[in-house]
Amino acid sequence: MSFLSLIGVEAVKIRRSKILLILAAASVILWLPSILNAKMNFNMQAEGISPENNFFIQGFMGMCWFMFPAGMVVGTVLLSQTEKADRGLLKMLTLPLNTAKLMFAKFVILLMLAAVQILMMTGMYYISAAVSSKLLAYHFILPPLFVLKESCFLFLSAIPMIAVFWMLSVCIGTPIFSVGIGLASIVPSVLIINTKLWFAYPMAYPFFVITSEYGKLAANLDTAELELIPWIPTAIIITVLSLSISCLCFGQAERK
Amino acid sequence: MSILTSLSLECKKIRRTGFLPAFLCGGILAAAVPVVNMAVRSEMYLGKPGNPLQILLDANWQLTAMLNVLLVVAGACLLYHIEYADHAMQKIKALPVRESFYFLSKAIILIMMSFFVIVIEAGAVSFCIWHWFKNASLNPSELCKNFGYLFVLMLPCIVLSLLISEACKNMWVSLGIGVICIFTATMLPADSFTLSLFPYAMPFHIYADADITQSLHYIQAAAAELAALGLAQLLFIKIRRSFE
Repeated sequence: MSFLSLIGVEAVKIRRSKILLILAAASVILWLPSILNAKMNFNMQAEGISPENNFFIQGFMGMCWFMFPAGMVVGTVLLSQTEKADRGLLKMLTLPLNTAKLMFAKFVILLMLAAVQILMMTGMYYISAAVSSKLLAYHFILPPLFVLKESCFLFLSAIPMIAVFWMLSVCIGTPIFSVGIGLASIVPSVLIINTKLWFAYPMAYPFFVITSEYGKLAANLDTAELELIPWIPTAIIITVLSLSISCLCFGQAERK
Repeated sequence: MSILTSLSLECKKIRRTGFLPAFLCGGILAAAVPVVNMAVRSEMYLGKPGNPLQILLDANWQLTAMLNVLLVVAGACLLYHIEYADHAMQKIKALPVRESFYFLSKAIILIMMSFFVIVIEAGAVSFCIWHWFKNASLNPSELCKNFGYLFVLMLPCIVLSLLISEACKNMWVSLGIGVICIFTATMLPADSFTLSLFPYAMPFHIYADADITQSLHYIQAAAAELAALGLAQLLFIKIRRSFE
């Protein structure tokens, strides 16, 4: 069975999970206050950021600090619980397939959920920017190339975080611990992005990327800049390590 | 079946789910927030005028409350997940006991655990006052009043989380809704009293000495929300039964 058809099977499994509805609701809730408070974007002279850039970055920051990582934790629960109900994983393990391949197919689905969440957020951004432009007679819409570049960068920076969440859900059998550790690890990211060791904490990556972009867009604001050198190697090590541990732990409890 | 028997049954059910250690660890983590904050940058708070308890709550409660609410949501999801996972819910429905009775037992367990978490946090705050604010004396009645208030404001959020978990068969749906509600609470404007009555936004409010009437309004609102949620639970069970 090819890897692509495995991914197809995994996608079919979560078809009726309502996860897309949950992710869509989060995007709507994110952008609704932005439309209502669009006027506040004109009071940002102190930071030296243009209203359209502020509209975009505030929304993305709102998403990245909590809802996007928490959405991924929900995604891991979805992927692990669909298998645990009625011993689905046990049936999967009896198939003449490589378990690592099965695990990676699930991880790819999780990455796809992340991509969908970011795309929904971007789509809703355009809708809300268009509505705000209409309401306040000011052009809030940014060029698609810039927005897509930011979205892609955000997605790439989230991969290590998603790998860690996936490792937690695969290795920890009791759902309350995998969910609890996942959700609790999101909260300190606000504090960690202000320290020098932010690159060692994958849950802070997406928020750090957006915050440093905020610093670039706002002339008078001094936020930490992205230093690729300790970051990229650390991120790669964390991702590879998390995925290797997940490979080893996948289905261990069922094999006993 | 008496409520005590039902409670001991619930305790047996959660024994191997990691529920108790999760609340213990979560409570310690949330209680560590003020201690770590004081250990790292105590100079920011020591010079401030006013009551040390108020200073500490102002500085740390947002983060602590966030952890508390996340813990409540995860705990509520688990309490019903264990019933839905292996179709135990169908067996529960076959028993000659009201379904609301199970809801009440689970709510009492979750409320007791949240109380335990609040006590750990009150202990951590008292430790901070004793260790760093050497000149200030700790007033136990004031401590009880503040943390009692925080506990009361958590109750609607606990009951609503449990109601959502009861309504959703799949754990990720109830967790997803819980997470969205917390996210909404963080997005709500701080200056609107009506919007701040959203059950997930209530635990973020601290007791304000200066505005006792507003604090009283919050307590009244919490009581009203609890009554409304209790009624909603009874109605929900009746409606769901008629569709099964």
